Amino acid sequence: MSAKYSGANSKGNAWAKAIAFSILDVLAITAWGLLLIKYWVSGSLNLLIHPDYFWLAIVTGVSLVVIGVLKTIQLVWAVKQRVSNRGQARRRSVIPPVAVGQHISLFPPGWSAALLLATAILGLLITPKVFASQTANQRGVSESVTITRSQPQAFRSSQKPEERSLVEWVRMLDVNPEPDQYTGQKVKVQGFVVYPTDSPLPDQYLLLSRFVITCCAADAYPIGLPVKLTSSSSSFPADTWLEVEGQMITETLGGKRQLTIAATSPPKKIPQPKNPYNY
Amino acid sequence: MNQLNNAFTIFLSLLVEAMPFLLLGVLLSGLLLLFVDEGKLVAAMPRNPILGAFVGSCVGFLFPVCECGNVPVARRLLMQGVPLPVAIGFLLAAPTINPIVMWSTWIAFRDQPEILVLRIVFSLVIATIIGCVFSVQGDPRPILQPAIVRAMPKLEKVDKAPVAEEDKPLLLQSGTFLLGQSGQPRRMDATVLQASLAASTGKKPLPDRLNLLLENTVQELRELGGVLVLGSAIAAAIQVLAPRELILGLGHGPITSIAAMMLLAGLISICSTVDAFFALSFASAFTSGSLLAFLVFGPMIDLKGIGLMLSVFQARAVIYLFALAALLTFLLTLFINLHVS
Repeated sequence: MSAKYSGANSKGNAWAKAIAFSILDVLAITAWGLLLIKYWVSGSLNLLIHPDYFWLAIVTGVSLVVIGVLKTIQLVWAVKQRVSNRGQARRRSVIPPVAVGQHISLFPPGWSAALLLATAILGLLITPKVFASQTANQRGVSESVTITRSQPQAFRSSQKPEERSLVEWVRMLDVNPEPDQYTGQKVKVQGFVVYPTDSPLPDQYLLLSRFVITCCAADAYPIGLPVKLTSSSSSFPADTWLEVEGQMITETLGGKRQLTIAATSPPKKIPQPKNPYNY
Repeated sequence: MNQLNNAFTIFLSLLVEAMPFLLLGVLLSGLLLLFVDEGKLVAAMPRNPILGAFVGSCVGFLFPVCECGNVPVARRLLMQGVPLPVAIGFLLAAPTINPIVMWSTWIAFRDQPEILVLRIVFSLVIATIIGCVFSVQGDPRPILQPAIVRAMPKLEKVDKAPVAEEDKPLLLQSGTFLLGQSGQPRRMDATVLQASLAASTGKKPLPDRLNLLLENTVQELRELGGVLVLGSAIAAAIQVLAPRELILGLGHGPITSIAAMMLLAGLISICSTVDAFFALSFASAFTSGSLLAFLVFGPMIDLKGIGLMLSVFQARAVIYLFALAALLTFLLTLFINLHVS
């Protein structure tokens, strides 16, 4: 709220300040454009949002860069005008019409742009994290089976059992929760290892999980099925990615009858899939 | 460290998801000025509070923006002198009453069409009621932020002869008003800029208007973007710090489930164009009423939105908006829980 901007160029200081703030705006907007484009090019958009919305982020990234470039041209032009018209009243009120000291927003001048710029720079430096067992536990993986809902458009019950993914199994279970229904069916699924903290599993068991994203990482929720191993689960630390083959059985775990995968052979360790989330 | 990184990922994902809609809203709000004669639009808005609030709610159909995008439009409509009930109706209902949101809700709840229908009906009812309540405040200026008041045309003039004012540049109308009202020297800030942008419609050559559009886009992106960053940071922090079971644990009874889903809607700040998919993941454990509460209340008010609303209204008005919206959502969805499903 300090500097007064009278609208004329009597104060060269205010003008220089306005230009400085404009440059900050350009940097903030361009940085955000570059961040979105970087996520797209590096293929890490899928760690943040659902693939259906990729195009939105991409178009926005390109648009922001275009806006940044246009604004730069406008600024350069304004500075040129200023230099050639030195001593005369500024002709156009449009340039540089940056708010000095007066904002609609809740922030002091420059803060908003600085916040945006800082966020974009952090985003460029820090790689988004793939959620793991800690988040799964925090978000309640053991209850996940009951909060999952079938998405009719993605639901194909005619599939061969061994071709169903973990998520498809959980969605089937949601429609028809009786575990005995599936006894003996073949299973081949991939996921990561979780040891639930709120209802610990016996030694020979682990929980195979996936995260499902409906919109963005903010709403990623874990789903999972217990796996009964042929030996102790100690050789599979949490967050290990596994491919489990076996068949469905019904077990009573934590006082609840649950559909369980009985592994017929020791699970195969696999690298984390390029796209760790399901949709 | 792990938790911090998780929070940062959630934070960024909210921003990456919201940024396109913010840009869309800002661009639409600018284009509206370039290509739509807002004087006519504003003049066409009914002065009757009930009708005004209802029409305002439906204007969202013309501007398919979510709650991050509708604030700039509402703010600008207010600056143009649109009646308060219309602006409130638009602010509360536009994020829900628009084709994109309806489409995504229908995709998500294809097997429960009543969710879509009730979502629309409840949003319209609540927005209209709140619009009417606020129409009691005859002069909207005391409840708006000073910056907006300064950019507004004089209220009486608009009320008496809105059409006659059209051919007079808005900047001229508000020129004396600016100095008389605030007693401060006029500054080139976003509001004044927008006033001149409005005045320029059809008056200035196209390059000048495009210059103004660019300037307006940059200013609004910066100002609303900053608030969005702050809101997303808070939402992400709460998501990581508060165990979700705590919130979900509340969700069994007809009353607690509604309260829990409204709380979740407020915390998660998810965009209305995509919130139906999020609600879908709770559909089997939560009552229909509570899902509706999430879908109706979330687009109206959430952490991120409160920040944006504070750029339009005084804090007191935002609290009233919040309280009324919460109460009405609660009552309507409780009725569904107890008497329908």
